[in-house]
Amino acid sequence: MKTFAPLLHSYWYLFRGAGMTLLMASAAVVPATLLGVLLALVQVFGRRAARSAVLAYLFIMRGIPLLVLLTFVYYLLPLTGIDLPPFWGVVLVLAFYYAAFMSEAFRAGILSLPQAQWDAAKSLGMPRYLMLRIVIFPQALRLAAPPFISLCVNLVKATSLVSIVGLWELTMASREVVERTLAPFQIFLGAAFLYFCICYALALYGKYLERRALVGH
Amino acid sequence: MPFDLNFLIRLIPALLEGAEVTVELAVLTMLICVVWGLVVALAQATPGPLSWIAGGYIQVVRNTPLLVQMYLVYFGLSMIGMGLSGFASGLLALCIQNGGYMAEIYRGGLQSISLRQYEAGRALGMRRWTLYTSVIMPQVVARVIPPLTNQAISITKDTAQVAAIAVMDIMKVAQVWVESSANTYDVFLGAGLIYLCLTTVISLGGRIAERRLAFAS
Amino acid sequence: MENTLNDALSLATDPPVVQQRPMLAMSGIAKWFGANQVLKGVSLTVAKGEAVVVIGPSGSGKTTLLRCINLLEDYEDGIVAVDGEPIGYFVDARGKRQRMGERDLAAAREHVGIVFQSYNLFPHMTVLQNIVAAPIRVRGIPRAKAEARARDLLAMVGLTDKEQAYPVRLSGGQQQRVAIARALAMDPKIMLFDEVTSALDPELVGEVLAAMQQLARDGMTMIVVTHEMSFARDVADRVVFMDGGLIVEEGKPEQMFTAPRTDRVRQFLKRYNDRYRL
Repeated sequence: MKTFAPLLHSYWYLFRGAGMTLLMASAAVVPATLLGVLLALVQVFGRRAARSAVLAYLFIMRGIPLLVLLTFVYYLLPLTGIDLPPFWGVVLVLAFYYAAFMSEAFRAGILSLPQAQWDAAKSLGMPRYLMLRIVIFPQALRLAAPPFISLCVNLVKATSLVSIVGLWELTMASREVVERTLAPFQIFLGAAFLYFCICYALALYGKYLERRALVGH
Repeated sequence: MPFDLNFLIRLIPALLEGAEVTVELAVLTMLICVVWGLVVALAQATPGPLSWIAGGYIQVVRNTPLLVQMYLVYFGLSMIGMGLSGFASGLLALCIQNGGYMAEIYRGGLQSISLRQYEAGRALGMRRWTLYTSVIMPQVVARVIPPLTNQAISITKDTAQVAAIAVMDIMKVAQVWVESSANTYDVFLGAGLIYLCLTTVISLGGRIAERRLAFAS
Repeated sequence: MENTLNDALSLATDPPVVQQRPMLAMSGIAKWFGANQVLKGVSLTVAKGEAVVVIGPSGSGKTTLLRCINLLEDYEDGIVAVDGEPIGYFVDARGKRQRMGERDLAAAREHVGIVFQSYNLFPHMTVLQNIVAAPIRVRGIPRAKAEARARDLLAMVGLTDKEQAYPVRLSGGQQQRVAIARALAMDPKIMLFDEVTSALDPELVGEVLAAMQQLARDGMTMIVVTHEMSFARDVADRVVFMDGGLIVEEGKPEQMFTAPRTDRVRQFLKRYNDRYRL
């Protein structure tokens, strides 16, 4: 038990860090989802030029490490004179980055619906927006829910990267404690445990959604 | 931003040196994990306590951030007197995490093969070994190529996190150069382009493999 | 000799007796799949209240023709009008064939009900929701009224107790009857049935055909693509035989089934009888 004394002394600090991690991830997931849906729609229904633009965007986001983007923005923001608090800076980067992956999940959801569903909706005289809203989206979102949740797990894990550019959250908090206590093993294990609790809860929820999607109703 | 040719002439070789480290890490991780992931997947498919351990391993490594795993290995092991170099720590953490992801990919591939394929093989009088090597595995390999390609891309991008434990990969070189000069744009443009090249090569390779192995579907 | 003469004569179909504006008028519908022409200028007129059954070997273009009516399938030439109003394509003032805008097309499709081979119910909606969705949201009918009408339709197809069920909980025959009710709920001017019994287990075919027969008796204008020859014989006002993307022969069912004028129909019916002992 003595070995874990450093962890017991500082758990409250780590909890606060975990709170910040959750806050950051929640702040990023909303714009990421909205942008992801938008990108998916453009990719499925957009004109050729718009589709190419989205493809270029996806190419860049899928090809460059998040850490490079975060660091770039961290060094760039002061240079551009944009007065954005670092918290919102990294939240935006996370959102733009994950939007690319979410759009893929949504697009796959939309495209995996059989043509027959579109036919049925069209033949009932539904205009396009109505067809999307009441026939396509409810089904596509259900199909996209499991990959969406696992992207949310990745997003929570990715917030740890902001500690490298100096923002305070769970990983940064644990590094600070390590510097004070010189007990990296116990502290990082504690941090890993907190991440696990958050992510595993999300993953279980994803599993539940997946099972529900398979069963139908 | 003034375009400085002299600066670029010095920057590019430095970044390429970093790229060498990045590629080494990515290739080693991929090679090790292709095997390690299969071991974990088979362990999980074997009834008994081994399945439990493998399942627990997969959940733990998938639901904790790579960065924290790296800190645990790099700082934690040195605390208990088993210190590894930054490169070795990074590689170990990358393998630990991606072994979990790869195992899931293999599992998905195995599950996607219909039971009828096994029945058909058995009906033809095939032994277990023949059944697996000539019927099941070729189909599994064809199915897992696309997700494996994605995983290789994500591994390559994840290697950037070793910069946090002082390994001179592309990311770390970029950080050093940004701090010692003011050419933020050039440095990040260069680093970003190299990552884009690497990931593009992987996805092209994946697509070629996919086409080679494509049958029926 | 006699046969070829008959064949040639029958290609020019009997002059239609025009008492009033036809409910459906298709003229010169031509469609290619790549280099393969699947509809070779098909024209078909259906009067109000008429039940037309389209038969023919698979690959003859029956289903494609049906799907062209409300432009679920695009076609390269020809025009269609339902109750005198163009649907899909129209001819503009300069005589040029133009595709309708999405909005006009959606409005025109309201008048054409179609039932598919694979039911195509919306799996995330209950039976009742499936039926009232379009009447409420497309036609703006008040919910209470739409639901009352939906219940009437469910009673007609014999599914009163299933309104809260989700489609996956229903048998194929039940799903198909819901699909019929869903199409009818839009009060279409014409109903199209695309091989609606082909995906059903044999013992479930009867219940669906019975609903369709009732509909025909009530005076609904309908076009039925089917392999059920007994249905064609008992219910159709007119039978149309298609082969190779053309209408080869059409006529009253009793004449078609007892004294076909073309060899191709004779062969088709013989093969059918050999297989099913009609």
